[in-house]
Amino acid sequence: MNLDAYQIDPSIYDEMFLQDGTPREHCRPLYEGLSRLSAEELSSIQERVTRSFSNEGISFTVYGDEEGEERIIPVDCLPRVLTAAEWRLLERGLAQRVKTLNLFLQDVYNEARILDDGVIPVDVVRECPKYRMEMRGFSAPHGTWVGICGTDLIRTNDGFRVLEDNLQVPSGVSYMLANRKAVKTSLRRLYRSSHVQEVENYGRLLLTTLLELAPGGRSEPCIALLTPGVYNSAFYEHIFLARELGAELVEGRDLLVNNGFVYMRTTTGLRRVDVIYRRVDDDYLDPLVFRPDSLLGVPGLLHAYKLGNVVLVNAPGTGVADDKSVYAYVPAMIRYYLGEEAVLPNVETYLCRHPPDLEYTLDNLASLVVKRVGESGGYGMIIGPHATQKERDEYAVQLRANPADFISQPVLALSRSPCLIDDNFEPRHVDLRPFVLHGQETRMVPGAFCRVALRRGSLVVNSSQGGGGKDLWVLRD
Amino acid sequence: MLARSAQGLYWMGRYLERAEFLCRLLRLQTEALVDRPIREIHFGWTRIYNGINRQPSGGSLEPMGSDDFTLADSYTLADDLTFERLNPSSVRSCFVMGRENARQMRHCISGELWTCINLAHLKIQKLTIQDIWAASPESFYAETAAEMNTFSGVAAATMYRDEGWRFMQLGRFIERAQLSTSLFLSQLAAAAQLSEHSDADWTSLLRLYHAFDAYNHSYSVEVHPDKVLDLLATDPLLPDSLCRSLDRTVSDIASIGPGPNAKVSGAAQRLAGRTAALIHYEWPDREDRAELLQRVREYCQELHQLVTATYFDYSVDDLPSR
Repeated sequence: MNLDAYQIDPSIYDEMFLQDGTPREHCRPLYEGLSRLSAEELSSIQERVTRSFSNEGISFTVYGDEEGEERIIPVDCLPRVLTAAEWRLLERGLAQRVKTLNLFLQDVYNEARILDDGVIPVDVVRECPKYRMEMRGFSAPHGTWVGICGTDLIRTNDGFRVLEDNLQVPSGVSYMLANRKAVKTSLRRLYRSSHVQEVENYGRLLLTTLLELAPGGRSEPCIALLTPGVYNSAFYEHIFLARELGAELVEGRDLLVNNGFVYMRTTTGLRRVDVIYRRVDDDYLDPLVFRPDSLLGVPGLLHAYKLGNVVLVNAPGTGVADDKSVYAYVPAMIRYYLGEEAVLPNVETYLCRHPPDLEYTLDNLASLVVKRVGESGGYGMIIGPHATQKERDEYAVQLRANPADFISQPVLALSRSPCLIDDNFEPRHVDLRPFVLHGQETRMVPGAFCRVALRRGSLVVNSSQGGGGKDLWVLRD
Repeated sequence: MLARSAQGLYWMGRYLERAEFLCRLLRLQTEALVDRPIREIHFGWTRIYNGINRQPSGGSLEPMGSDDFTLADSYTLADDLTFERLNPSSVRSCFVMGRENARQMRHCISGELWTCINLAHLKIQKLTIQDIWAASPESFYAETAAEMNTFSGVAAATMYRDEGWRFMQLGRFIERAQLSTSLFLSQLAAAAQLSEHSDADWTSLLRLYHAFDAYNHSYSVEVHPDKVLDLLATDPLLPDSLCRSLDRTVSDIASIGPGPNAKVSGAAQRLAGRTAALIHYEWPDREDRAELLQRVREYCQELHQLVTATYFDYSVDDLPSR
C-alpha cells in the first residue's frame, strides 16, 4: 500500500519519516514491508489485531459509564520504531530520574535537606495534598519508595522530554505486552526480519524486584497484588499482572492485620503476606490513617508497613514526587542529589502559585495547556488553542480563584506516527510510557506503552479520552 | 489459595454447568416442537420449569389445544429460559454470571479456557430469540451446549490440577447433582399428574443424559420409568449419572482437604459421603424414589452451605495464622 499520500508537517517530528518525506533509516524495512502489503491485507491485519483484543477481553472501564461497562482499548496495528541508541538514552535518563525521585522521597520525609537548602520551596511540598504527614520519619526498605515507575515521554523536533512521572499506581504495562503479542503475530515476517528486542520477561523482572524488597528472614515471601476490584479501570491489568507474578489478586476485604502482620484469607486459613504490590491509591489504603470511609483498604496496613512486617510497593506518600508542581523541580533535584544534568529534560512549566507565572499563564491562555495539579488521565485540563474563548474565560476564573491548583505548559507538538485510519495511513500524535523497576537495582524491558491520540489533530492520548495504543519496537543494534 | 478466588471458581463451575444443562433441555424441547404431540410439548415445558423451580414470566404451561397457541407459548417460554435478563436461571444470565466469575478469576484459570468462555460470551451477547427461532433453535442449543462441553475439555487439557481446579469441579458436580435430582423429581411429579404413561416422556429424559443407547443395551427397547431412573441415578459408567456426580463431590472435597476450622473440619466430607451413600446403598432397596431424591436434594443444598462455611466464609477468630 502506498504511503505517498501520507502528510508530513515539518514543524512536527514524524516517527517514521524525515522532513523531506523519505523514511528514517531504521524505519526503512518497516516502510518497505508496509508498501508491499495491499490495502486489503493491511485492513485484515488491523481487523485481526482488534479482534484479538476483543477475543481475549483486554478491556478497561471508563468512570461515569454504566457501572462496570467493559470497553476494548483501541489498538493500531502499525508499530512505532526506536533505535537501540535512542532506547539507551531513554534508559539512562529514566534510571537517573527514578534514582533521584527515590532519594527525594527519602529526604523529604526525613531531614528535608532539599527544602532547607532552598532548592524546592517548602510550600510547594508541604501544601501538596499528596504529601503524607503520616510518612514523616519513615525510611522505605532499601530506600525504595518507588519500585515501579511509569514515566510519560514525548518527542518533539528538539528531542525527548518528560511529560510526567506516575509514581503511585502507574498503569498500562499490560497493554504494552498485549500490543506486542497482537501485533507480532499479525505482522509475523516483518517482525522477524526487524530484529526487535523482546519485552516478554517483564513479569519475571517485576517478580525479581518485588522479591528483592521482601522483608528479611522470609524464605518464601508471599506476594499479593492489591486491587480496588472489578470496577477499577485497570482491573484487566491487575488480573494480568497477578498471573504474570503467580501472585494472589486480593481486595481489601481479603486481608486483615493482626499483631502488626498482614494476613490473607485462604481456603486453609490465614496466611501471612510479605509484599503487597498495591494498585489502590494512598487515600483508600488504610481507613485508620487515610480516608476513614474507604472500603477498599485494610485497617492497620500502614502500621504493619511501618513495622517492617510487610512491604508496600509503591510506598504510600510517593504522590508528592509526581505532583505536577513538584515535577517542575525534578531537574533541580537531579542536580542536587546526583550532581548531574537531567538526561531527559522536562517540559517548561509555569507554577501558577507564583504570581508572575499566573500572570503569564492568564495572558497566554490561548497558547498554553493548563492542568490541575491533582488530576490525571487528561481530566481537568484545558488546551488553550483547542478551546473556545468562553471555555478559556471560564477556566481563567477558576485559575484566579485557586492559582496553586494549576500549572501551565506550552502546547508542544507531540511527535506523530503513521496509523491505519479507515484503511489509509494518517499521522496521529503519540507519546510513550516506559516502565522502570527499582528494587535493589534498576531494571527495564526495552518497550513501552505507546499511546496514540486517535482523533485527528487531538493531543490527548489517554484511553479514557479517545486514545488508543500501538506497539513500540526497540530494534537491536 | 485465596478463599475469594476459590469461591469465584466454585461459582463459575456452578453457573456454567447450569447453563449447559439448560441448553440440553431446551434442545430436546425445541426438537419436540417439530413433530411431537401437544401433550408431550406441554409435559416438557412443565418438567423444565418445575426442575428449575420457576414460574414462567410470560406464556403458559397449560396445554392450549392448538398448534398455533403451543408454538406461540413455546416461543415466549424459550425466550424466558434463554435470553431473559431478569430470569437469573436463563441461559444468558447463567452464562453472564459464569463468565463474570471467570473474568474476575482469570489469573486462576488457563488462558485457553478464558478465551473460549469469552468468545462464547461475545457470541451469545449479540443474539435474541428472533435470531435463533426462525431457522433452527435446536441447532443453537446444540451448538451452545457443545461450546460448553468444549469448556470442560479445554479446562481438562490445559489447567493445572491445583485447588482452583478442584473448586471449579466441585461447583460443577454439586450443581449437576442438584439439577439432576430436581429434574427427576419434576419428571416424577409431572408423570404422576398424567392419566396415561407415555414412553416419549421417558426416552426424552434418557436422551438428555446421552443414555438412550446405554438403556437399550442394559435393559430393552421397552421403556420402564423405574429402570430409566435406575440407570440415570446409579449407573457408574454413565458420564452424567447422579452417582457419578456425587462420587466426584466426595473425591473433590477429599482432595481439597478439611479447611481451616477444626470445629467444622471434615463435616463437608462426611455429608458428601452420606449423600453418595444414599444413591449407592439405599436406592436399590427403596420403593419411594421421590422421597429419597428429596433427601438427596436437601443434602446437596446443605453441602453447598457447608462448603461455603468451611472454605469461603469462615470466621477468623481463634484461627492459627501461618
